[in-house]
Amino acid sequence: MRVLPGRFVLGVAVVTVPLVIALLGPVFAGPPPAREASFTEGAGHWFGTDFVGRDVWYQVLHGGRPVVLTALAATVLAYLVALPLGLAGALTQRHLVEELLLRPLDVLLAVPSLLMILLVATVLSPGTVGLALLVAVVNVPDAARLVRATATEIAARPAVEALRMQGETWWRIAVGHIGRSMLRTVTADAGTRLTGVLYLVATAAFLGVGAAPDAADWAVMVDRNRTGLLVQPWAVVVPALLIVALTTGTNLLFDAALDKRGRGPGGTSVREA
Amino acid sequence: MSGLRSFVARRLLLGVAQIAAVVLLVFALTEALPGDAAVALAGDQPDPARIEAIRTALELDRPAWERLVHWAAGLLHGDLGTSLTSGRPVARYLADAFGPTLLLAALTVALLVPAGVALGVLAARYEGRPVDRLISSVTLAVYAVPEFALGVLLVTVFALRLGWLPPTAVGHGTDLLAHPGVLVLPVLVLLARPVCSLVRLVRAGMIDALASPYVAHALRYGVSGARVRYLHALPHALAPAVQQLARTIDWLLCGVVVVETLFVVPGLGTVLLGAVAERDVPVVQGLAVVFGVVTVVLNLGADVIAHRLAPRAGVAA
Repeated sequence: MRVLPGRFVLGVAVVTVPLVIALLGPVFAGPPPAREASFTEGAGHWFGTDFVGRDVWYQVLHGGRPVVLTALAATVLAYLVALPLGLAGALTQRHLVEELLLRPLDVLLAVPSLLMILLVATVLSPGTVGLALLVAVVNVPDAARLVRATATEIAARPAVEALRMQGETWWRIAVGHIGRSMLRTVTADAGTRLTGVLYLVATAAFLGVGAAPDAADWAVMVDRNRTGLLVQPWAVVVPALLIVALTTGTNLLFDAALDKRGRGPGGTSVREA
Repeated sequence: MSGLRSFVARRLLLGVAQIAAVVLLVFALTEALPGDAAVALAGDQPDPARIEAIRTALELDRPAWERLVHWAAGLLHGDLGTSLTSGRPVARYLADAFGPTLLLAALTVALLVPAGVALGVLAARYEGRPVDRLISSVTLAVYAVPEFALGVLLVTVFALRLGWLPPTAVGHGTDLLAHPGVLVLPVLVLLARPVCSLVRLVRAGMIDALASPYVAHALRYGVSGARVRYLHALPHALAPAVQQLARTIDWLLCGVVVVETLFVVPGLGTVLLGAVAERDVPVVQGLAVVFGVVTVVLNLGADVIAHRLAPRAGVAA
């Protein structure tokens, strides 16, 4: 696999703008400007006003944080569940335990992720926290699978055999050796997963799940301001471009990082798609 | 062939378990409702008559397992239940909205496979050269972009600024094939993500296959380059791609829901979202079962095909 040297730089460049706006935007936004007529251009507003007459730029500054934070929280949560599950599944000596832990996840993999989210949204109308939890749950089966596969491979190595014969404790072998050895593979996977999670979080918000209909959220802005696309395209185009930059940049960045140190210990390739 | 047969048997078993799990999961939905399900579903208009109507419609007086058996038995006969809001059978909803969704999905898949394989092989053939770099970078960049953001930008440029294509499918009913212009943008948006993943997989697989000893051997024997590429290397490169193709059905489903909303196409995705918004549980459940079963069956088929293409690979089952 050739490493394109520019890709990392490009990824950083592309992801910086949306990330800075998302994280620091609310700090620099200041007080909300007065409301005016909906879908106007100019008149002291950089990007005009939105569907209820709010300043688009002000909304943009506030709208990135929910997307980014929800996605990060969901990724972390997914691993908090997947890591112990996968490790336990890989290290147990009893076949039955492994089957009990991991077979249900195989079955869950069959349900399309967005369908799962929409199903729950029908009965519960989750908020931002609910959406993060949901997206995390949807990601657990696949992440646990990867953790198990990686851990199984490492657990079969001579070094682990030696540790076991020395009489080291289970904890030391599982966490101290195997856990540490698979850190790279797992970080790489977390990067790819974050891109998928960003996609899901944004799409769910666009479809009206996990965000209030008038929330300052890039995806919600795209959805709600679509009605004025003909008169005032900025209210849609600016958040849409920021989402494109955020997802594209994250993907470029992690792909480049993966290329550089993606070969996990023992030469196992991580890029098994 | 007994290896294939036992593999298929095991894979079928998993498929059946997955379908059972989907049915159970979807059924569990009404059970997950907080408090009294009928009151929760009545939502904004909690008048007693409506609550009572919902209670009878969902048969909430009967124990859960009885309802599950009744519902599952109905599913086997193609009876998906009745809508809470309109009183129409869910199967009718499906029948009405099936056409546009199938058209979108079929068109997408029909274009996806040739485009993905051709671009992937092209990139692999010129590995490291500008063509490859261009294809690799663009696919990598577009791969992660949500359909709604891409779609809205395409609409702004090609429909509103340039005026080449209609911005939505409004006013064409379900007969979209008569207005092919309407389909261009939705299919493009639907294609974007799956094509990227397919191209990358085919490219990686082809590069591996072309570097393998058997390809070198065939070339030494004087077998022509094209023959080696398409008859020997390509089948091996396709095995992982076929599986990914089935995984893309998951994406395609997400994509269809978004694209139908974006372009106002009266398909299954629109029906599903409408039902979610109105908390029309039977409609959501019926659609979810259909979508879930389709996903399971397609994944199953893909695993079997992938196993046939590269029996060594040991496809998960």
